[in-house]
Amino acid sequence: MTLARTRPLTVAPPDTLADVSFDEAMEARIEEILAKYPTRQAALLPLLWLCQDRWGWISPGVMRAVAARLDLAPAHVAGVVTFYTMYQTTPPGKYLLQVCTTLSCQLCGTSGLAEHLREKLGIGFGETTPDGRFTLLDVQCLGACGEAPVIQVNNDYYTGMTPEKLDELLDGLQ
Amino acid sequence: MVTVTIDGREVQVAEGTNLVEAARKAGIDIPTYCYHPGLSVVGQCRICFVEVEGAPRLVTACSTPVNDGMVVHTASDRVREARAAVMEFLLENHPLDCPVCDQAGECMLQDYSFEHGLDTTHMVDERRRYPGMERRLIGPHVVQNQNRCIHCTRCIRFTREISETSDLAMMKRGNHAYIDTFDGEPLDNPWSACVADVCPVGALTVKEFRFRARVWHLEETPSVCYGCSIGCAIEVGHHKGVVHRFRPRHNPEINGWWMCDHGRFLAEELNGRDVDRPLLRTGAGEAAATSWDAALQWFVEKACRDGGPRVVASANLTNEALFLVKRIFQDELGARVVVPVDPGEPRKIKNAHGQWVESADAHPNASGARLMGLHLVDGRELEAFLGEGGGPVLVVDAGAHPWLGTEEAARTVSGQTVGAIAMVHTPLTRQAAAVLPSASWIETEGTVTSSTGRVQLIRRGLWPGGESRPVWEILTLLARRLEVDLGLPTPVTPRRIFEELTARVPGFAGMTYRRFTTEPGIPVIEEVADVG
Amino acid sequence: MKPILLRARGEENSRSINTYLRLGGYAALKRALIMDPADVREEVKNSGLRGRGGAGFPAGVKWGFVPQSTTRPRYLICNADESEPGTFKDREIIHTEPHMLLEGIIIASYAIGANTAYIYIRGEFWTEAEILERAIAEACRKKYLGKDILRTGFDIDIHVHRGAGAYICGEETALIESIEGKRGQPRLKPPFPAVVGLFGCPTVVNNVETLACVPHIIEHGAEWFAGIGRDVRNSGPKLYGVSGHVEKPGVYELPMGTTFREIIYEHAGGIRGGKKLKAFIPGGSSCPVLPADRVDIPADFDSVAEAGSMLGSGGIIVMDETVDMVWALENLLTFYAHESCGQCTPCREGSDWALDIVRRIRAGHGQPRDLEALERISRHASQGMTICPLGDAFCGPIASFLKHFRHEFEDYIARAEPLPPKKLPVLPVRSDRGPFGI
Ligand SMILES: Cc1cc2nc3c(=O)[nH]c(=O)nc-3n(C[C@H](O)[C@H](O)[C@H](O)COP(=O)(O)O)c2cc1C
Ligand code: SF4
Ligand code: FES
Ligand code: FES
Repeated sequence: MTLARTRPLTVAPPDTLADVSFDEAMEARIEEILAKYPTRQAALLPLLWLCQDRWGWISPGVMRAVAARLDLAPAHVAGVVTFYTMYQTTPPGKYLLQVCTTLSCQLCGTSGLAEHLREKLGIGFGETTPDGRFTLLDVQCLGACGEAPVIQVNNDYYTGMTPEKLDELLDGLQ
Repeated sequence: MVTVTIDGREVQVAEGTNLVEAARKAGIDIPTYCYHPGLSVVGQCRICFVEVEGAPRLVTACSTPVNDGMVVHTASDRVREARAAVMEFLLENHPLDCPVCDQAGECMLQDYSFEHGLDTTHMVDERRRYPGMERRLIGPHVVQNQNRCIHCTRCIRFTREISETSDLAMMKRGNHAYIDTFDGEPLDNPWSACVADVCPVGALTVKEFRFRARVWHLEETPSVCYGCSIGCAIEVGHHKGVVHRFRPRHNPEINGWWMCDHGRFLAEELNGRDVDRPLLRTGAGEAAATSWDAALQWFVEKACRDGGPRVVASANLTNEALFLVKRIFQDELGARVVVPVDPGEPRKIKNAHGQWVESADAHPNASGARLMGLHLVDGRELEAFLGEGGGPVLVVDAGAHPWLGTEEAARTVSGQTVGAIAMVHTPLTRQAAAVLPSASWIETEGTVTSSTGRVQLIRRGLWPGGESRPVWEILTLLARRLEVDLGLPTPVTPRRIFEELTARVPGFAGMTYRRFTTEPGIPVIEEVADVG
Repeated sequence: MKPILLRARGEENSRSINTYLRLGGYAALKRALIMDPADVREEVKNSGLRGRGGAGFPAGVKWGFVPQSTTRPRYLICNADESEPGTFKDREIIHTEPHMLLEGIIIASYAIGANTAYIYIRGEFWTEAEILERAIAEACRKKYLGKDILRTGFDIDIHVHRGAGAYICGEETALIESIEGKRGQPRLKPPFPAVVGLFGCPTVVNNVETLACVPHIIEHGAEWFAGIGRDVRNSGPKLYGVSGHVEKPGVYELPMGTTFREIIYEHAGGIRGGKKLKAFIPGGSSCPVLPADRVDIPADFDSVAEAGSMLGSGGIIVMDETVDMVWALENLLTFYAHESCGQCTPCREGSDWALDIVRRIRAGHGQPRDLEALERISRHASQGMTICPLGDAFCGPIASFLKHFRHEFEDYIARAEPLPPKKLPVLPVRSDRGPFGI
């Protein structure tokens, strides 16, 4: 068994997200979400998550569709999307490598990992490999400092990372 | 009412009043950036700290309501230190490009820095910049320089709470946050330039006004917008005879703190005079410049004979001018007078109570004309009136109605004897037998009646340009020559005409000039509001 | 002490409702539901349970602020945002026994009269959100959640609401804004959430660990709980998260008031590689740092406060003798500058300015007046100068690093070279515009 247990993101190309609509399955999920809150606006974060799960990122077209669905101003939606760091506003790679760079992880050797990744992938933080496989991000404390250093790949945490484990992980992420 | 003591001064204010307003009432100015009386309170900028006795920490005055017996200090050492600190934080990333900043002179950052800031700086690091957002048109009228923004969010709240268009939002967060529209869409709501009014610094400025004048050179004259029947209170900014801008002037009952872009950008029109001398046509061809004496004589002899002319008055005139039109032509000469009214685009503005006030028509004073007992007509009726023929035509304001400015209007009256009063030529004035130059809106004084039934005063800020004269003056001169006794003491002034009109027109009963200084427009007497 | 909150750690299927029931779970709920809500509040008040989210506010007292006569809905929010660097205990509870948290939420909701509860969980905790969703589904099936639970007439729904990457959403009013679908910007207080909170209704926000204590208090009584720990103001079991330079980092459940020495040296196995302790941050990164010689103080709210810091969330970050304290402060300021919501002038400008200064000092271009400027910032962005305590959260570290390790900063400055010529930084903002771009 390999270390990697993360499935790749589905990332929709920008031209397919200029004008989006929600299919039946998504509509059903949206209704479920709306039922949890007394206001429509409260469904904003969950709906954005739903969209990001579906398309991999939040394009202006997605923001407009979400705004229309919840009766919100598109500028408000954009303000919310950009406030939170986890919503991707440009198409990411299939694997988001999120390296924790906060104190406890740093004390346990994050910078070595970051260097290793940069060298191996040939990209810096905020960049995506040309083959669209990896996006490298520096993130703040992931709330797992006891198992530092921590790297989150898409939804999964990989803890106690070393350069060797990293190599194994990257090989497993196809 | 509750009583609070601010810096030793006792004031009585209504319950719920915040400390900024309470202090203002006591004559004490607490600095504010994010606070704007017309917008919701967010308490973000932190400049308005004051000390309240009994409270362990400083409080922000804008977000603290008064309590009975509260004792407040606005200038203690703690308060001064806090203010200086906030000023230091704000200036830490500010570009300090005041010499090339169009806000200079009316910038709250400059003013408060002078009053409350430090005289040294600790700052040696790079200042924050927003490449690409340093001089950027974000809508038809508004230019953004994000480097200067102090993140007070007034503009955002304006688009959310007043225009209800929510075109602006804060993007990203923290120190790198910035103001933007959605995905490059233009900020083009009908009141968009108000965001520049509420911006306390030079981050949002009005394209049309940028670099036209240094504001400390501007003279500002209180007036009323003539763009529609709402009659937003405005300030006309001018310098050396040139009008540079309109800005909203606070009137809680009519326009709050706001005005629409349509009205604001009428300012340029006031510089556009092309009739600057009396004109008289002696033979065929162009009318030639003549003296006032000769031109007036033409009106007396050619236009006002045989039961008087057919008069096209205007809902763009002041109450005083309309009163004279009625007295001279309708009452004394028995002439037929119409006032054409164009419904225009529907416009609306929010008053200080958060209610929309909607326009009834495109004129500043159709209500005044109605109260005066003049006959209001629409464009079609105007065309019929002019097409009927019979007697000379006297057009008191060539810009009275959009149709009047068309070629078609000129054709309709061709062959008839036409005399007109105008500031700008139209096809009709070009073929008129005589034209008198009228003063512009800022060159005349008088009152107008809004469609909500409030009478407001407009003041004269400039002397009439060229040889032009205000319409009320032209009408008094004509009256004298026509030997119509208006019963007015000489010299005739707008104020005296107004006094006469309040005595004669029931809707205006009891109004005085003095009341204009204290009231947000004087309401006309309701019961007679639909005379005529 | 036998573990309480983490009693099932290491057990197979500890997350399933059957294991939880076998361990006596949901018995406290049954007991609470036949009590008067006021008595539940009283019991929790008497236990001395103080909030484990950072501020240490007595939970029972907070519950008492909720107006009881209101006809408006009331809400309970479980704060699972867990974003304070060095804090990772709530995650441990969720991983171990999610039903313990659910039971706590149901009892707390009953105590304040809420029929809807939200768990606000940080967006990164996707796995944990899934665990909670599964546990909620189980509890619904067994009628511990939903309409008329256990035939008592009490209705309660729990919804999981995921954040999306913003530390500030751990602050309770920012959290509320975030649930409401807005930018997570803290609100002006008053009004406090207990009166005007979520959707304008009375709302209580409690931390995961706080709520997980509640079933045990109801089951074993206030006195039992108060008997654990130093005194009734510092009572109960506490989860200490130890990270950084220790041999065995992790979460340790110990009685409130265990000394830092015992936690670091006995439970966490001492300093890694036999090195010497230099400093520790006692309760999450916003708590002022303490030098090694304070390691004997008890880790409880009042003792740490007396020592000039805070117990905060109980996340202890341990630094050995090799750590460059200028570097450490730079790292923390990077975090706070990144996480400031940006609405208050002192926090928005101050956090970034302080970071610029410290970064410059470390880059070898410190100026003699820099430390004075840092002190000014730390004085002027804290203590009520800002809307929420994030201002204090970065000012505490600045002040304490300068207090205890000033010489390290001075050394850098003494060795500094003059400033290099200015170059303009480029920020990642979108500059391509639509039809009006110039
Ligand atoms: C900047 C900031 C971040 C916070 N982050 C968290 C957090 O991640 N988790 C948490 O439980 N409380 C956090 N808090 C504390 C909450 O505001 C609130 O006090 C707490 O959730 C109340 O729960 P308790 O009384 O049970 O501790 C934070 C506070 C501030 C000012
Ligand atoms: S102190 Fe900082 S994080 Fe808190 S509200 Fe103000 S700007 Fe936002
Ligand atoms: S510091 Fe990396 S997970 Fe907390
Ligand atoms: S004016 Fe009061 S905080 Fe901005």
